[in-house]
Amino acid sequence: MTPATHAPAITPSTQVLELDYTPQTAPPVTDLDGPPAVNYLNHAHGWLSWLLTVDHKRIGILYLIPLTVFFLCGGIAAGLVRLNLLTPTGAILELDQYNKAFTAHGTIMLFLFLIPVIPGILGNFFVPIMVGAKDMAFPKLNLLSWYVWFGGAMFFIAALLIGGLDTGWTFYPPYSSKYSHTNVLFAGLGVFITGFSSILTGLNIIATVHKMRAPGMTWGRLPLFVWAMYATSVIQILATPVLAMAVSLLATERIFGIGIFDPTIGGDPLLFQHLFWYYSHPAVYIMILPGMGVINEVITCFSRKNIFGYKAVAWSSVGIAVVGFLVWGHHMFLSGQGIYLGMVFSVLTMLVAVPSAVKVFNWVATLYKGQITYEAPMLFVIGFIVLFTIGGLTGLFLGILGSDIHLHDTYFVIAHFHFTMVGGMMFAWQAGLHFYWPKMTGKMYSDFWSRLAAVVMLVGFSLTFLPQFVSGYHGLPRRYPYYPAEFQLWQILSTAGATIQGIGYVMPVFYLTASLFFGRDAGANPWRATGLEWQIGSPPTPHNFDELPIVTHGPYEYALPSRYALETEPHHTTNGTNGHAVAGNGVTSGH
Amino acid sequence: MWLFLVTEVLFFGGVLCAYTAYRIWYPKEFEAGSTALNPLIATINTFLLLSSSFTITLAIRSAYKGEHAGLRLWLVATIVLGTVFLCFKAREYYGDYEEGLVPSQQKTLVDTVDESGKPILKEVSVFAVNLKHVLEEKEGKAKAISDKMTWNERERVQIFFMFYYSMTGLHVLHMIVGLGLLVWQLILAQMGFFRPTERYIYIEVMSLYWHFVDLVWIFLFPLLYMAGIHSVEHLHF
Amino acid sequence: MSDHVQKPIIFEEDHLPPATIGGSTLTFLILAGLACMATLIGFTDLGPAKVWVSLAVACVQGIVLTVFFMDLRHGDKLTWLTAVAALFWTFLLFLFTITDYLTRQFFAF
Ligand code: HEM
Ligand SMILES: [Cu+2]
Repeated sequence: MTPATHAPAITPSTQVLELDYTPQTAPPVTDLDGPPAVNYLNHAHGWLSWLLTVDHKRIGILYLIPLTVFFLCGGIAAGLVRLNLLTPTGAILELDQYNKAFTAHGTIMLFLFLIPVIPGILGNFFVPIMVGAKDMAFPKLNLLSWYVWFGGAMFFIAALLIGGLDTGWTFYPPYSSKYSHTNVLFAGLGVFITGFSSILTGLNIIATVHKMRAPGMTWGRLPLFVWAMYATSVIQILATPVLAMAVSLLATERIFGIGIFDPTIGGDPLLFQHLFWYYSHPAVYIMILPGMGVINEVITCFSRKNIFGYKAVAWSSVGIAVVGFLVWGHHMFLSGQGIYLGMVFSVLTMLVAVPSAVKVFNWVATLYKGQITYEAPMLFVIGFIVLFTIGGLTGLFLGILGSDIHLHDTYFVIAHFHFTMVGGMMFAWQAGLHFYWPKMTGKMYSDFWSRLAAVVMLVGFSLTFLPQFVSGYHGLPRRYPYYPAEFQLWQILSTAGATIQGIGYVMPVFYLTASLFFGRDAGANPWRATGLEWQIGSPPTPHNFDELPIVTHGPYEYALPSRYALETEPHHTTNGTNGHAVAGNGVTSGH
Repeated sequence: MWLFLVTEVLFFGGVLCAYTAYRIWYPKEFEAGSTALNPLIATINTFLLLSSSFTITLAIRSAYKGEHAGLRLWLVATIVLGTVFLCFKAREYYGDYEEGLVPSQQKTLVDTVDESGKPILKEVSVFAVNLKHVLEEKEGKAKAISDKMTWNERERVQIFFMFYYSMTGLHVLHMIVGLGLLVWQLILAQMGFFRPTERYIYIEVMSLYWHFVDLVWIFLFPLLYMAGIHSVEHLHF
Repeated sequence: MSDHVQKPIIFEEDHLPPATIGGSTLTFLILAGLACMATLIGFTDLGPAKVWVSLAVACVQGIVLTVFFMDLRHGDKLTWLTAVAALFWTFLLFLFTITDYLTRQFFAF
């Protein structure tokens, strides 16, 4: 196609990008002497340089700080719930306070923490670096989506503080539309706004993966974290708008006192549940997929092996993204939806466990005959694999129509989803945080304390939620402040576990903060990992790569001897000569 | 932009799905509700919106060719068409309001008969009474529909109207956003932003959104307005 | 101004000129014709068939609009993928939800 004379055709992005990379004379940033003199943290100063930044790395940090605070808030609410459950008649809270406490815990943890945590922080920070780009496809949109998210989150927190919310995280009408006297409207608006931000972030990541990959970064060479983020973004884009619509219809009904879920004029409250779970089941995969992505990166590094079955893992992410949309009815087995539909959903639910299982098998196979070392990130990964497997398997109990009739809305469900979300996502997040902290800050944290924290979290977690399988199986229903005295032992065990867990989560706050001031310099590649992100300095320079990287190998080539080049001859990097390995994994510099 | 439109499709998909579910349950009520709407304004609006989709493609063409007067002209034309659409829409809402076709919890008492034919006083919503009036004024088949309905069914027509207001309301919101974008492009055009002709791509991307708003209307038109029975004699503004 | 050469416009790659005036006019006329048809159908009483006929017309209109006005026919792979994905996932939403409403009255026992 010859371009018309008036309008020069837009050149494909990769070519245009190359224009940006005028040949550099500075040495490549792979030397291990210490942090690059100019890096993304120190190249500009002052509040405004952070609040107006379009640098994806800084935006990642912008997410990190409020997310930590939100996690703390959600944790405090959880603490209240657990303390209250120490005695069968409620130890500390009034009835409505109890409702507000568990709702605050659920909503904050889901909407304000688990959904944005890895996409917001690690996704923002590392997806562009991993594909070899200078930034996201739309840097300004990225900043906008942070503001939208932060605004929505503030809205939500305000709604919780002023008057609270007592509908549970599921907002079921007609309770939420007619009877609840709490801030359903504001909270709904908060969910709507943060959802919008989540859509924008998803758009950005998809566009980045499609259009910003460095030369040679084929789909088959993308790190699996990027694949997972890609699948997550697809889910975000496809599912979130339906939640937005459900919440809007609910808000309309609440404002006008009359609406389409209102049974008195012939409406059907179940319809809300359909729309809600169309989003919210896929949303649990929005939460877990990025975590699974992180696991791939960490597990290969600490067993010093290539991932077992790259393609299977990559496609299982996409598989989860698709099949995840076919099973939402398993949350509604007992709601009055058609019984035959329930059967179909039950069968499809068995199906969705397959891609998750594929991943678990691949991770275990990756460990097999690896040279495993047990640094903190790896401890979290091992915790993840064990706990997530338990969570996933108990999901099957719940997915089977017959057994769910017994287990629905009991502590068994609570234990199930905490095993997947805390044991899974929370551990994956800790693994990711500990794995990438040296890269993000350039500092190394205490080895001893971090390993201790991992163990404390694991012990605390198991003590909290294993008893709930038992009490749930014996029929203890969820969301009640009172319970029969025979369950008290289990509840006390849970509360004790929650306390230990709490200590575990606070520990990283201290030693990670301490590392910023007292930690030794991490160097570019403290874990001797092979990914592209480890070939640049820590913390990275403002534009990540001083030269356009040309990728010649897959992301996990731990078998290649060149990986040792990093340890033995860190300074002998060649500059500018095309085709010469710069450092390790076959990333060559070009221009 | 296409990726963003996917989310819009699913957003409207949510409400369309709800609409379908209820239409299956309550076909009669939906027919009656649609019959009570104003088909004339809706038809005019359909053509207005289609024309505006046409003018915006002309605007793209002009930008591509570097014809700046043409670009501004077509952008203005698009904005005018969109605004006229909104004016008509406002007139229509006002008409509905005057006829009392607004769902609410206000109740009133009517004379009616119970199952055994005994005369009773029944508490029904004001909306149901108004709906009865509107349909009876339209005479012919519309009146026949109304006559066949029980009071409970008339009450349920409120669900149709909830859909009518929320779907058209969301559509109007999207139109307002679209008009904002168009005005912005017009200002840019005025400032000479589109001098380098390859920047026509900005208008093209924005036009996708505008076309999408049109697309939504293309489906709302048969689903909301044309689901009932209309006759040509009773057209009015 | 000077930076616009360097900055890649990545949101939509388009190597083809936009539709000609004649082309757009033709598309518009087709759409208007279909709209007339939709209106005609709206004013006649076809009974239960009406909704299907009018939806069919709307679908044709929608396809013409997306393929020609929205230039889907020149879209790259990603564009087609997104368009198809949007339709497919909306279909899934409808599939299960509507199935529920159609089968709820059947009992298994
Ligand atoms: C391995 C596949 C999985 C299966 C088969 C499965 C199955 C189920 C089923 C059937 C329920 C409904 C239980 C009931 O309400 O009676 C449920 C609830 C839940 N699951 Fe899963 N699940 C799986 C994985 C996950 C993952 C990975 C997450 C999150 C990261 C998750 C989070 C949840 C949550 C939050 C609920 C409770 C929702 C509520 O009612 O509040 N599940 N799961
Ligand atoms: Cu689920």
